[in-house]
Amino acid sequence: MAAVAEIDSLVLEFRSRSGRVRALDGAALSVGDGQRVGLVGESGSGKSTLALALGRLLPPNAEHLEGALRVNGKSVFELDHAALRGLRRHELGYVFQDPIGTLDPTMRIGRQIEAVLAGTGKTASIASLLASVGLNDVRRIVRSFPHEMSGGMAQRVSIAIAIAPKPKLLIADEPTASLDASIRSQILDLLVSLCAAHGMALLLLSHDLRAISRYCERVAVMYGGRVIESGLTADVFGRPLHPYTEALLRAAPGQERIGGRIEPIPGLPPVLAGRIEGCSFAPRCTFAVDECRTRRPERTDHGDRSVVCLRATERADAMAGVPPA
Amino acid sequence: MSAPVVELKAAEVRFASGPPWAKRHVHALRGIDLAIGKGETLGLVGESGSGKSTTGKVCLGLQRPIKGQVLFGGAPFIYRRRALKGALAAVLQHPQWSLNPRLHVGTSVAEPLVINGMGTTRERGAAVAAMLERVGLEPALAKRLPHQLSGGQRQRVAIARALITKPRFIVFDEAVSALDVSVQAQILNLIRELQHETGFAALFISHDLAAVRYVADRVAVMYAGEIVEFASGATFYRRALHPYTRGLQEASELLEEPDAKLMDVAGQPPSQGCALSQRCPLVIERCRAERPPLRPLGDDLVACHRAREALPAA
Repeated sequence: MAAVAEIDSLVLEFRSRSGRVRALDGAALSVGDGQRVGLVGESGSGKSTLALALGRLLPPNAEHLEGALRVNGKSVFELDHAALRGLRRHELGYVFQDPIGTLDPTMRIGRQIEAVLAGTGKTASIASLLASVGLNDVRRIVRSFPHEMSGGMAQRVSIAIAIAPKPKLLIADEPTASLDASIRSQILDLLVSLCAAHGMALLLLSHDLRAISRYCERVAVMYGGRVIESGLTADVFGRPLHPYTEALLRAAPGQERIGGRIEPIPGLPPVLAGRIEGCSFAPRCTFAVDECRTRRPERTDHGDRSVVCLRATERADAMAGVPPA
Repeated sequence: MSAPVVELKAAEVRFASGPPWAKRHVHALRGIDLAIGKGETLGLVGESGSGKSTTGKVCLGLQRPIKGQVLFGGAPFIYRRRALKGALAAVLQHPQWSLNPRLHVGTSVAEPLVINGMGTTRERGAAVAAMLERVGLEPALAKRLPHQLSGGQRQRVAIARALITKPRFIVFDEAVSALDVSVQAQILNLIRELQHETGFAALFISHDLAAVRYVADRVAVMYAGEIVEFASGATFYRRALHPYTRGLQEASELLEEPDAKLMDVAGQPPSQGCALSQRCPLVIERCRAERPPLRPLGDDLVACHRAREALPAA
């Protein structure tokens, strides 16, 4: 399968007055054509930085140090201004967390949609576009400003704008985090069905593990600026190989027994100042051995799955005999 | 047994909208009965618009019911601002909005003490440091501004501020919804521990049944301003009796074999019969004609004509 997006050992740092922060420390991820990939991790793990890097939408203090990032075979960090504009306009679609903040507050919705629809026959195509995201009261919506809409409606409009140019890859960064619970599943259902209908690949960033397991066929788990485990969602969540994935699953409410206690992951996620020797999860890991603190784990493949952990092989062998949880 | 800390008796709230000549009324609460005892957590779940937050406001005295009674510590609620100073507190969903961005964390946490004129400056400083430590934050963070903290740290600050006056009752309105999974677990455990220590009564409002059943002793499920199911937290670990609750369980992926789904219907619930009758897959004639009352069934209170069929065969 051809890959829409391919990221290989990407290193990215932010400069600030108080020093440097390494947001991505050798992240690797691949999104196949038409695939739905979930990206999970705590805040600060580098999810959003990775998503923004795909369209080179990073703030000016970000510095690309190493590694390659290709979208549709084009190396994003080597594109000139015009080619980058084309990439952002035609090949990528973004849906962000705060829909009302994403839309221009001074412009009516109709004009904002017109801006992304090149060509003629605008009125009809606006109506069909809005209908495809489940908004039927077209005349009212076209005339309204973003502040006159509910969060769910505004998110539908921003999805309509993102899919209008029929991009190859739709990147949704916590698209439901600021929405009400009862419409979260409607918005995710809509995203997934639109991606299937137009053959778009979806990169869904979320900390809602249940939503990811429901909507995404593959999942990548990020920690400390690296993708530490990736593979089929059923495999990764069913029998996690990386201790962090396991700890994250155990921390989610919903799987404990009556009167049981959920176990939060002890300690705090790291803030990296530079390349780290050793594993960034070692200080919080219950499986860590001395070697974990001094030797940097490299990616190993276990069947269809890649894991960044020195003890992955050991754990995979131990788990081979055990039925999945 | 002593009187419950907070009690609502047939509380009704109605909101009006539109111009004076064409007023439209929305019933936010249609006769809610609930009582929360000392050291107890009552969970409240339901979708948006079901009246969860309005119930929270009524319990805090921020919204007066048009009918029914609100009792605080066994006596009618006193609607004077200073009357219950320091006895009530709330923790809200977005700590970045509920903390003043221009006040240092320490000042924010001390503010309830200052407003209520409790303690001297030095005593307040010591109380803030002790409270920050208790919620798992370094006392040195008191000198920071909210934007310099992570989401989990900010929510801990909000909890510290709610607890500083040693309130008898706290409302947690979607207090963990905006947080990361691992931080959610820490905050939920923190709430349980603090309650064990200080014995406050709590109303824990959330749309997330998984989080609610974890912290709550008893859970009330709300739909369209009514309680449709009321049971102990442990009950929600198995298949619930009310079809609406099963819908919520299904939405949180807590059911192994899901039912037929609730249908999405826009607009107001019907004025006659069960409020869910347009959406429920199990609807029968009786549901459209007759509103089911909240009746005891097993260990539960359920408002559904067909709940008996959902009881596990004994």
